[in-house]
Amino acid sequence: MVRFVKNPRNVATGLMLIAVAAFFVWQGSDLPMGRAIRMGPGYFPMILAGLLALLGLIVLLTGLTRPSDDEGSIALRHWPWRALALVTLAVVLFGFGIRPLGLGPSMWLAVFVSSLASSRFNILTGLLSACIMVAFSWAVFIKGLGLPLPMLGPWLGGY
Amino acid sequence: MEIFDNLALGFSVAFTFQNILYCFLGVLLGTLIGVLPGLGPVPTIAMLLPITFGLPPVAALIMLSGIYYGAQYGGSTTAILINLPGESSSVVTAIDGYQMARQGRAGTALATAALGSFFAGSVATFLLAVFAPPLADLALKFGPPEYFALMVLGLIASVALASGSVIKALAMVVLGILLGLSGQDVYTGTPRFTFDVIELADGIEFVALAMGVFGIGEIVRNLEDEHTRTVMVQKVKGLLLSKDDFKRIIGPVLRGTFLGSFLGILPGGGAILSSFASYSIEKKISRHPERFGKGAIEGVAGPESANNAGAQTSFIPMLTLGIPSNPVMALMIGALIIQGIVPGPNVVNEQPNLFWGIVASMWIGNFLLVVLNLPLIGIWVRLLTVPYHILFPLIVGFCCIGVYSVNNNEFDVFTMALFGLIGYVLVKLQCEPAPLLLGFIIGPMLEEYLRRAMLISRGDPLVFVSRPISATMLGLAALALLVVLLPSVRKKREDAFKE
Amino acid sequence: MRNLKSAAIALAALALSVAPFAAAKAQDFPSRNVTMIVPFAAGGPTDTVARLIAESMSRSLGQQVVVENVGGAGGTRGAGQVAKAAPDGYTILLHHIGQATSATLYRKLPYNVLTDFEEVGLVTDVPMTMIGKSTLEPKDAAALIAYVKEKKDGVIYGNAGVGSASHLCGMLFMSAIGTPMTTVPYQGTGPAMNDLVGGQIDLMCDQTTNTTGQIKAGKVKAYGVTTPNRLKSLPDIPTFKEGALPGFEIAVWHGLYAPKGTPKVTIDKLNAALLTALQDPKVIARFADLGTEPVALERATPEVHEKFLAAEVAKWKPVIEQAGVFAD
Repeated sequence: MVRFVKNPRNVATGLMLIAVAAFFVWQGSDLPMGRAIRMGPGYFPMILAGLLALLGLIVLLTGLTRPSDDEGSIALRHWPWRALALVTLAVVLFGFGIRPLGLGPSMWLAVFVSSLASSRFNILTGLLSACIMVAFSWAVFIKGLGLPLPMLGPWLGGY
Repeated sequence: MEIFDNLALGFSVAFTFQNILYCFLGVLLGTLIGVLPGLGPVPTIAMLLPITFGLPPVAALIMLSGIYYGAQYGGSTTAILINLPGESSSVVTAIDGYQMARQGRAGTALATAALGSFFAGSVATFLLAVFAPPLADLALKFGPPEYFALMVLGLIASVALASGSVIKALAMVVLGILLGLSGQDVYTGTPRFTFDVIELADGIEFVALAMGVFGIGEIVRNLEDEHTRTVMVQKVKGLLLSKDDFKRIIGPVLRGTFLGSFLGILPGGGAILSSFASYSIEKKISRHPERFGKGAIEGVAGPESANNAGAQTSFIPMLTLGIPSNPVMALMIGALIIQGIVPGPNVVNEQPNLFWGIVASMWIGNFLLVVLNLPLIGIWVRLLTVPYHILFPLIVGFCCIGVYSVNNNEFDVFTMALFGLIGYVLVKLQCEPAPLLLGFIIGPMLEEYLRRAMLISRGDPLVFVSRPISATMLGLAALALLVVLLPSVRKKREDAFKE
Repeated sequence: MRNLKSAAIALAALALSVAPFAAAKAQDFPSRNVTMIVPFAAGGPTDTVARLIAESMSRSLGQQVVVENVGGAGGTRGAGQVAKAAPDGYTILLHHIGQATSATLYRKLPYNVLTDFEEVGLVTDVPMTMIGKSTLEPKDAAALIAYVKEKKDGVIYGNAGVGSASHLCGMLFMSAIGTPMTTVPYQGTGPAMNDLVGGQIDLMCDQTTNTTGQIKAGKVKAYGVTTPNRLKSLPDIPTFKEGALPGFEIAVWHGLYAPKGTPKVTIDKLNAALLTALQDPKVIARFADLGTEPVALERATPEVHEKFLAAEVAKWKPVIEQAGVFAD
């Protein structure tokens, strides 16, 4: 089979860049352009979005015409969904927890949940490192550096 | 000579037991917060301000300065060890420093950073002592057109940060600029790309972006092929520099020091450019540019020296003119006011012991830093022998609290999560994140200076070429663009012939 | 997003049922640290005022008053956070003149400046000075006004960004003399001052905290003070009221706020601590270094503050609308 797409990575990159450029054009379309002498807030972004689309097009075309010389160490089609989801979830949980729950519980959650992302996860080391990190962040950030953060948030009886 | 009298006065002030103690406390704390990702000198100095109420002004300023340059020193540690640049200046260090660490040369990279910083800091302090007033006048010659030209030059040079495709690197720069434009327009107050989110009114937080695409993205990347390879080389090779290493870093350190000292005096962006500029220059003049991005020691030595030299000379506008060149300097001015000293051009003459005491303390501080940091390298390197599946959740935890503490805002934590995903996608597509970050930092300034220059010149674009400094820099930028594009054009042609 | 939120709410309900602590009574205030939110970056003039006041209030309240900088969006992010905080007096706001102007500058403000806060009292008025580059022709304020009227937008006025004190002062000045200049905004006072000293721009009007050092060193020309009386720190600089432009008066006033619904007892305790701070010799001395002094004690009351805020909102509305500059 003759492959139409020579370098799928560059095709994907080109398409992504064009899509991002289109997004910025769409979002920036309400901004006044002004003139070169007295540029409006929309002037610069519009020029840049055009430039980004152009660069995206070039990358897309090279992807269609030139095979890649370097496959790289990571495959394009394989995605580590578990790691992506759990690490992101850990960070998001910290964000939601920090105000209402306080530093202690949200730090514990962030460390424990992200440790689940590893295929070598072990419940004992996971629990242990979460607790150590809580103790460490209390000592360094609250006691040592005096960050204005409660260990326990208002939902847990702190403030 | 007057300068010797002044320095003698400075050392007589700085060499009291109390002031050495505060200098030590400052650099120690600075190193600590520099090492902790995300935590920067601004919140630390803000928290310490109440304590300085009770101190004499010289001691207070010596301690606060120590925190600032100590943090620059410590910032490179996490960039090298775990690919986490907590500050804009250590983004460049992460590129080759982290690769060195992966090759088991973390100790060498850290030692290079420490020695380069020490040398650069000492030289820059000397320049500060001898040439502060003329350098400050030079900085005043820089108007909006000159800054615009400088930013253009910086952006063109930044393409050299990438080791892969030039076109993709350019696209990343442009994407970075677009992301950087998010927030309130400086000129009209119009919000751009904020999606009616009040937290975005001041734009995307740099620390959240940098820790997302570098730190979190790298963690997912490492977890992807956990099975097939050991993430960190367990065996750590020699901690210190070999003779060959020394030979290789002398040039980069000298050039980086010079570049950083000069760019550091320019308020608003100068110091940030210096590490990027140093990296580009080293890569351009290297006989082995292909080593860059894969653990070149020159790529650590040059930028680290530049960044530390810049940190010292950025005191010049603050001390000689009373004009803050960055948020840390603004805080120092706040500290002076609380101490009852009116900051301004008269401080040098009215408070000579303050000015010269601080200058002298910087030498002491730089010396203390190198003495403090060299023994620590052994401990840092041992950290890397912790198995990755135990280490990375802790890194996630540090990232979270670090990014939260920047503005005490959970929104930044969510931003970091989003950019972690984006950073991973970019890795998949082999788009390098370093040019994106540079575009993000410089982009808004580029627009600001361009529009300001057009306003002040009443719309005359000739303003950029009729002023000598700006014309020279734009000429250099055009030249750099040619140099960057030519090889890829030639390569394309060669490829075409092959087929 | 919604699922996460409801999960968080469920978690909250659970936490609340477990929490053994009932809300502390207002009479016991303060039984823990009080957070004073400054809606600007640390190190600026407003932050300095806040820290001086907080240090003194900590002593009289018997609990630490901790300053927290919640910068962003011209001060509206920090103010919004206090407007939505629990009305128990443990979260208070120190804001400047921007509290009044944001009501007009921001058309989509997520809170109401006049109804979402309990005023605690005014704190201080920081005067402003009109300064020009050292080579600017006019010798005094009257000549300056004539010069601006002749050159119009040939004169370049720099400010520290939309909604900053220097922006407000510039708008008021232009509206008072009825002539617009070319306005060039900067990100903060530092870079603007740099370009003024370097002669890239012509004029600027800023708080004495930022200008006194430059004026004394002769790096810039001072044209006048914007308050009714001359300043102790700059006795040679005339006021605009002395003749050049009598109606042109502006000071960067600071006030202390608590969220709406804070019990009267708590407000009174905070106000008492504020009054003590304003009579503290240390605070007075430091304020003098800033070129300012505490407001007269009868103005540092919730009642006067409330009326004054309403008057300021009304004063700035037409000026901002006439200039046609909004921040959203």
